[in-house]
Amino acid sequence: MLASINSATLLGVGGHPVRVEVHVANGLPAFGVVGLPDASCREARDRVRAALVSSGLAWPSQRITVNLAPTGVPKAGAVLDLAMAVGLLVACGELEPETVDGLAFLGELGLDGSIRPVAGALPLVDAVEVEGVVVAPENRLEASLVEARQVYSVGDLRSLVRALRGDDEWPASPDLAEFDEIIQYPDLSDVRGQPIPRFALEVAATGGHHLLMIGPPGAGKSMLARRLPGLLPRLDSSDALQAARIRSAVGEELPPGGLVRRPPWRAPHHGASAAALVGGGSGTMRPGEISLAHGGVLFLDELGEFAPKVLNTLRQPLEEGTVRVSRVTGSTEYPARVLMVAAMNPCPCGGSGAPGGCRCPESVRARYVRRVSGPLLDRFDLRVDVRRPDPGELLDGNPGETTASVADRVATARQRAVDRGVRANSDLSPSDLEAEAVLEPAAVSLLEAALHAGRLSARGLHRVRAVALTISDLQGDEGSLGADLIDTALSFRIDPFSPVGPSVR
Amino acid sequence: MSGGSTPDEVADHAFLAALAGLPAMGPARLRALLGLLGPAGSWKVASSGRLPREVQAVIGPRAASVATSWVEAARTCTPEAVLAELQSVGVTVTRRGEHGYPPALVDDPDPPEVLFSTGRPVVNENGPTVAIVGTRRCTRYGTEVAVEFGRGLAEAGVVVVSGLASGIDTAGHAGVLAAMGGTPPVAVVATGLDIVYPAQNRTLWRRVADAGQIISEAPLGVGPARWRFPARNRIIAALADVLVVVESHLEGGSMYTVTAALERDRPVLVVPGPIRSPASEGTNRLLSDGAAPACNLDDILCALNLVCLEPVSLATNHGAPPVSADPADLGVLDALGWEPTTLDGLATRTRLSPVQLGSAVGRLQRAGLISEERGFLQRCSGRGVP
Repeated sequence: MLASINSATLLGVGGHPVRVEVHVANGLPAFGVVGLPDASCREARDRVRAALVSSGLAWPSQRITVNLAPTGVPKAGAVLDLAMAVGLLVACGELEPETVDGLAFLGELGLDGSIRPVAGALPLVDAVEVEGVVVAPENRLEASLVEARQVYSVGDLRSLVRALRGDDEWPASPDLAEFDEIIQYPDLSDVRGQPIPRFALEVAATGGHHLLMIGPPGAGKSMLARRLPGLLPRLDSSDALQAARIRSAVGEELPPGGLVRRPPWRAPHHGASAAALVGGGSGTMRPGEISLAHGGVLFLDELGEFAPKVLNTLRQPLEEGTVRVSRVTGSTEYPARVLMVAAMNPCPCGGSGAPGGCRCPESVRARYVRRVSGPLLDRFDLRVDVRRPDPGELLDGNPGETTASVADRVATARQRAVDRGVRANSDLSPSDLEAEAVLEPAAVSLLEAALHAGRLSARGLHRVRAVALTISDLQGDEGSLGADLIDTALSFRIDPFSPVGPSVR
Repeated sequence: MSGGSTPDEVADHAFLAALAGLPAMGPARLRALLGLLGPAGSWKVASSGRLPREVQAVIGPRAASVATSWVEAARTCTPEAVLAELQSVGVTVTRRGEHGYPPALVDDPDPPEVLFSTGRPVVNENGPTVAIVGTRRCTRYGTEVAVEFGRGLAEAGVVVVSGLASGIDTAGHAGVLAAMGGTPPVAVVATGLDIVYPAQNRTLWRRVADAGQIISEAPLGVGPARWRFPARNRIIAALADVLVVVESHLEGGSMYTVTAALERDRPVLVVPGPIRSPASEGTNRLLSDGAAPACNLDDILCALNLVCLEPVSLATNHGAPPVSADPADLGVLDALGWEPTTLDGLATRTRLSPVQLGSAVGRLQRAGLISEERGFLQRCSGRGVP
């Protein structure tokens, strides 16, 4: 007899519908799986057999063939276990075919017949082509985020069979109220003094400008960066769903409530590979850290220690807000709209980097500089020096301004960008800037001078303009941008690698 | 280009140039060879590998391997070709004691046997000579002082010698070049005259060669070997009547120049610096060890037994009210002081908002009163220093 069951498999961060066809016929007892299963998918044979037997269900001593259609799509993982087991039960007459109509099955089986959760439940449920889905209880929350699906969650195979036969009710499931995430970001009031880095954080959060902090060890660069997600607006529904989808695809736990509402914070170690950062890998392609940080902050500590090749893979995703990963097995696209914040020491000796204060030989310094390419450096709209805070500020006991009050200012200023039709000022194109960031004549001549002096690239010119616009939004200014704003934007764009000392032209 | 040289001298120059170009040929080895055998004889011995016992003693335990490397190197070059190449690029060869050899070096304890030079023979004119040296990793303060001393000395008719390195050397040469109708610049370099080191000083190198003189102990094609820098520094110390150290870390090439100058009884003048600046740590130590301070041009001229007609205090001159600056910005300038400070440090001191401060810094930079280097703001004298 033949049975055909709905299920799905994961490709990148998206699901792909799969029909599991089970054929039971007379012949030598055997169990074969065809249709591009990977190793863990092929091992389903043993899990399914053990799960059925443990659940007290019959195992047919017949020739069983399982086909995973469409056969051209590679299937990975154990998500199809449950569909195979249900298909077998239908094919050998334990279940009536009508009982599984309109249902899809997503789950891994334990040898004791338990139904286990799978990674990527959210995109998988989204992918199935029927209205009802059966998942493990642990996957219920993620599955319910797809509004158009009726979700049933069952903990073991025997209860599932009883529910399908109508012998029992479906197990009751708790109501899912959306409750807020409890993660609290550290508060900005912990930061004492350091007015310039603080302001840079505010501008970065408002305009979506990537930020590079340069300073000696212990200056508080990481401490500052950690406080940035708290300044960013909460993710809207579509972003929250997308972020949840990505997190689900890599099997990371979703916050209570399921949706990722708080801007994510990702801080990959500097040993990270290109695939870990932008996504990829062989076989199942995984989204990288930049996608996991979608809508939030990607923090690269010790920027100079990352492999230059790895850093350069970030350039295109940063520009486009998406990552396209191509492998022999296919290509996928992941969302990757992040606010990049990086921190680095001025030079390898760990000194302050002050003129005359560095102990590095020139060759060592030059090698360190080469690790961060010019084009990548150009992507940081804001580049500030971070010094250890003034001792007086550290000890005077007055807390700094709180995250809540800065976030209020950020939200007000961001509304202006939204009124311009973009999420943040960094999304404005050069032609948008022409219309939105009108320059006073003095400001124009300032920019011209900076261009002629070789201090700015053409890209840099637009970025300086966008930063000046963000600062003016934060101040609540109206009208054109004056020289003071351009000067300020330029002073927040230091070149950490400019040649030192005098030179003769 | 050995103008006025006899045919014998020309032949000697060819041998000298070829000898100087042999691997691991330092001044002491060359001196030992020449003292014993003369140019032609030395070349014969070096290219055959049969070194006399006295020369072997100077080289030490590695004499055999050095001799082999000389034979090998001598096989691929001829003295005539070496000389022809020098002449084709306009390099003059002078042997110790010949006309054109700097008089200050003739009786030196460790004199170079042969010198290569381009440009005009400035050092032979025997005028008062000052060497300006200092760290390559200098601050804006050091840069400005070196430029002003370089310019002031050149305008006073003093020959200024330096090493064409980055940092203080560059600033010193730039000052000389900026002087109106002053003495031409002199540089002593550690590489061959066709190898510009550091490469970013190419323009400066060319301008010094055009206006003045570049001297080297190394023949063409010799790269920046480590040992050649202290060797070059001893020539700078020997050429100078007075050595001025502008900025120096506790360790570094300038400290070697100081030692070499003291061995030769040359007075060493030192520019005092902020006690918190690492680039002044070495110079301040020299001062506490008893070196005389160089606080203005007059101090240096006095050490040369010259008289300055109108002594100018650099301190008051620095503080002269900058006409071009906005009065409100002067508060920022005062808060900046003379130590490198970041924007954040300045914001903490002035309590100005980021925009007020950023625009003030921008205006002061355009007025030439502040310079920025890798995020550090430094006060300038506002006199167009490179």
